[in-house]
Amino acid sequence: MMIDGTQEYSVNMGPQHPSTHGVFRMVVHLDGEVVTNVEPKIGYLHRGLEKMAESRTYNQFIPYTDRLDYLAGPHNSLGYVQAVEKLMGIEVPERAEYLRVIFAELGRVASHLFMIASGSLDICGWTPWSYCTRDRERILDLFEMTAGNRMTLNYFRIGGVSHDVPDEFIPALKSFLDDMPEMIEEYYGIFFGNEIAQSRMKSVGILPKELAENLLITGANLRASGVQYDVRKAEPYGIYDRFDFNVPVLYGCDTYDRHFIRLLEIQESRKILQQALRDIPEGPVMAKVPKVVKPPAGKVYHRVENPKGEMGWYIVSNGTTKPARVRIRTGAFVNVQMLPAIVTGWKIQDLVTIFASMDLVLGEVDK
Amino acid sequence: MLNKILRARVSELADKVNGQVEESLGVLELTINYPYVLEVLTRVKNFADVPCDFLHDLAGMDLEDHFEVVYQLSSLRGPQRLRIIATIERENPVIDSATPLWKGADFLEREAFDMFGIQFRGHPNLKRIYMWDDFEGHPMRKDYVIESHEQRAVMRIRKEGE
Repeated sequence: MMIDGTQEYSVNMGPQHPSTHGVFRMVVHLDGEVVTNVEPKIGYLHRGLEKMAESRTYNQFIPYTDRLDYLAGPHNSLGYVQAVEKLMGIEVPERAEYLRVIFAELGRVASHLFMIASGSLDICGWTPWSYCTRDRERILDLFEMTAGNRMTLNYFRIGGVSHDVPDEFIPALKSFLDDMPEMIEEYYGIFFGNEIAQSRMKSVGILPKELAENLLITGANLRASGVQYDVRKAEPYGIYDRFDFNVPVLYGCDTYDRHFIRLLEIQESRKILQQALRDIPEGPVMAKVPKVVKPPAGKVYHRVENPKGEMGWYIVSNGTTKPARVRIRTGAFVNVQMLPAIVTGWKIQDLVTIFASMDLVLGEVDK
Repeated sequence: MLNKILRARVSELADKVNGQVEESLGVLELTINYPYVLEVLTRVKNFADVPCDFLHDLAGMDLEDHFEVVYQLSSLRGPQRLRIIATIERENPVIDSATPLWKGADFLEREAFDMFGIQFRGHPNLKRIYMWDDFEGHPMRKDYVIESHEQRAVMRIRKEGE
């Protein structure tokens, strides 16, 4: 048979491919070098966290929540413990609220730094990778000196945090915040201002505003498509309404903006951290919570702004010590859907950068 | 103020479709029967002044005698929030898909299908999303039996032996 033009064929990418950032698999349909369609296949890291939650008590489930988005552990448990507190009507001590904000924002900075690092690595930029991970290491050191773990902290409790931070924590955090402007300038010079990075990422993989809203995209990816929406501002949880910060928004809708908005968000997180350090009071870090957590029957839906997108916790209690249902809406899981929508028409090497710009972490996609 | 308008709109809608309005922890909750779901979602999405036009979450729920599909709605342009609960019978769980309204409901519905076996009528690609294709059963159902690791290993050996 004679073949006219290029034959369409399918390539399997992943689950062990290094640029899929975990165990993500996609079937890529190609016409020559041009991508005609992508089918995302997920579930390689599915642990059934929702099912596990039903056979564990409320306190026993906290360590599992850290394993969702393992690059920003604190924020996941924040959503869970706040949802349970809402259900039980628990007031959290002031100092614990500030410590929670500090840890959540440090987690966000760590996650965004890693996203920029791995994004640059996907276009063979080794230097930004080592710079970003070097600075992320300082955050992980802060986590380690407090909770003993570097990524999955298990630090938050229903009613507060497990213990106070050590004495050396505050000075170390202060010196990190002082060094941050210099770091950000460095990233800008080495990655965002780089000619190769710009030519590989600018106007590649456009996600228009209407499509983003229709696909239910949330988080920084939505803000890079021109929608100024942040749960921390729209529906402040914890004590986020006390801080003065901006919600950055970019209108380029492309891969470059989805990377660049993370850098802007790191700057805003620094503002929040500085204010939290200034205002943090002394006092207890744990409220009086009964040993056996037994929320009254009811339902609650609590949303938090995770670094990867919005995370929603729908907890249904039937008045016993174990929840009837814990539903986890993760941002990254819904955000996967933008890949087939924006990658069509781009070449296979662009697929890698577009994929990196979505900032997926498979622990959160697969639950 | 906004809450008042939303409450008025929702109770008006509830009368039309024979639903119940409740409020739990500050969020309005509308419980309806499954045949009305597409009509209700379309109306809610196009409410004047208080459109609940962002489907935040779609989740299945097993209540032993029936299933529920829970829609968490909000808006990117206002503080309005609404929860819609559609009840489905357990024997034949079929409900209209929300994908004509939001393309992004695709994965969420596939997950509910995978975990609960709820069929979404009109979904473009209703396949399992987490579990593999020939997996048997729907793990999030309350009557799903979790075998022990040893038991599963024995079953696997038997199956391979056949």
